[in-house]
Amino acid sequence: MDILHNLAFGFGHALTLHNLMYCAIGCLVGTLVGLLPGLGPLSTISLLLPLTYAIPTDGALIMLAGIYYGAQYGDSVSAITMKIPHASSIVACIDGYAMTLKGKTGLALFTAGVSSFIGGSVAIVVLSTLAVPLGEVAFLFGPSDYCALMLVGFVCVSFVTTGGHMLNGLSMALVGVLLGAVGTDVISGTPRFTFDQPFLADGVGLISVALGFFGIAEIAKNLDSNNQFTPFNGRIDLIPTWPEFKRIIPSALRGSLVGSILGLLPGGGPTLAQFGAYAVEKKFSKYRSEIGDGAIEGVAGQAAADEAAARTSFIPLMSIGIPENAVMALMMAAFIVKGIQPGPNMIGQHPDLFWGLVASMWIGNCFLLFLNVPMVKYWLSVFKIPYAALFPSILFFCCVGTFSINNNLDDIYITAVFGLIGYVFMRLGLEAAPLMLGFILGPMLEENFRRAMLLSRGSLSIFVTRPISGTLVALIAAFFAWQFGAFARHVRRSRPMSAGVASRPNSSTG
Amino acid sequence: MWSNQKVMRGLALIAVALFFGVQAAGYHLGTLARAGAGLFPLMVSGAVGLIGVVMLAQAHFEEAEPMNFNLKNIAIIMVSLVGFVLIAQHVNVIAAIVCLVFMSSLAGADYFIVRNLKISAVLIAVAAAFHYLLGLNLPLL
Repeated sequence: MDILHNLAFGFGHALTLHNLMYCAIGCLVGTLVGLLPGLGPLSTISLLLPLTYAIPTDGALIMLAGIYYGAQYGDSVSAITMKIPHASSIVACIDGYAMTLKGKTGLALFTAGVSSFIGGSVAIVVLSTLAVPLGEVAFLFGPSDYCALMLVGFVCVSFVTTGGHMLNGLSMALVGVLLGAVGTDVISGTPRFTFDQPFLADGVGLISVALGFFGIAEIAKNLDSNNQFTPFNGRIDLIPTWPEFKRIIPSALRGSLVGSILGLLPGGGPTLAQFGAYAVEKKFSKYRSEIGDGAIEGVAGQAAADEAAARTSFIPLMSIGIPENAVMALMMAAFIVKGIQPGPNMIGQHPDLFWGLVASMWIGNCFLLFLNVPMVKYWLSVFKIPYAALFPSILFFCCVGTFSINNNLDDIYITAVFGLIGYVFMRLGLEAAPLMLGFILGPMLEENFRRAMLLSRGSLSIFVTRPISGTLVALIAAFFAWQFGAFARHVRRSRPMSAGVASRPNSSTG
Repeated sequence: MWSNQKVMRGLALIAVALFFGVQAAGYHLGTLARAGAGLFPLMVSGAVGLIGVVMLAQAHFEEAEPMNFNLKNIAIIMVSLVGFVLIAQHVNVIAAIVCLVFMSSLAGADYFIVRNLKISAVLIAVAAAFHYLLGLNLPLL
């Protein structure tokens, strides 16, 4: 009953004219971003983050959230029609594109849209029932537990974003922590890594880092890869037959469940959820033999999971105060810009914000269903915009976004420098997403670490003896052991081969 | 060795670790129980350096991966951003937008003057909207 009461309260906030407008803008931009190759949720949220300084808190969060979950709808459209995988629609390319090849594009798009709607709705139920009790659990967390949880987050994000090369991601998360340490030390007041430059006294600007890494470096990467694609011109029949419709529902429900759970885990989120749901469908679906060459289940399950995970990943941020992936880290930055610390106290102190956001998600869901099912034909013309026409505009928005923070044109130089650094890192095979997480969590990690050490009088054993942090540290250790084992096996297997390569002169080293 | 991405990755991380670590070591370190300003960054730098060393060692065992560094595109983008700031400071934002569009699109797959003019016009309109509707203090004229 309490939840219904709270939800009604939330709808009261979400249904104001302003918030409806922000929600609609978020969903629209999100869908657009999901469709356009070369623009992901991370880049767009970075681009729009400066705007949040100017608009009210609840509107800003509703809009940013809309972009994030809206993008999950949109990206399945480009995956189904043209096999363009975005960060989180790799799985949709398999069965979705196979359906397009069979001439069932409309059915695939309908399935993806309806399943996303189901996934989103299930996740909102999870969000509204689980966030508050989980917040109670968060009160049990001490500083060492928070430290360990953040480290688990780093490890998991590194593992997910770098596809198994955990060290690459982990190193970037730690570099992010170092970047976050630039500026005045809060506890002792010592300026660190500032080179006596006054503009560094408050630390490196979040917007400069975000726009440099996800705006400028991303553009350079897309230009380098120079992907050309032909827009989709086929026929689209959206309305499915009843037997087809009946096949969507069970898969979508299974996908929603898998997605909701995987969205909760550190490092989780849409990407992981899709793979999870696809695997589940392959194992449990009644039509599992058809999956892989264009089955409805292969589209429905992953689309629902994708959408569900995008929403449940708000739970760790809002009830524990630890973002579990880079997008959520940017969300957290948006909260902090507005002077609100996400965490166990947030729901109690700002119930309008939390329940308003939850309610807006359901409203956004309806918007998105409308935008992505009946209107999908019109969206396809977006693909006709070539990237060569798009990226100068993105550059311009990077400039304006940076400028708007301090009304200072010189700040654009800083953004450009981070763009260059981001590009170099990218070419070294180092991902920027873990860096963002480390950068935003860095100050919190340091504060909690120092507090934990103060409490334990300098004994590191506190991390092992406390039950919560002990478990989490054991988890990290298990991860490392597994990675080391995988590496050792890899070396043993490739030994004869690499010996052959080495015997040829100058074959691999320049 | 210089063209192996894996080796360069390790070296870059060691360089970052040294850059932060050497400075951090110069700040007050304190003890674990009463950490100074330098202790935590020093520990993190140590971890980054360690990962760098491990990567170098791994690179020794694994096959080389070629570097794929395309200087042209990133250089064009950097120059057009610097150009944008300089022109916006000394002339105005309208000229800066035109310059940004025409310079940066040199990095694109194709180049059309008419399309660039259209993009510039749209962006100038957007800048004007920011200026007059949202009150952003861009030096428009």
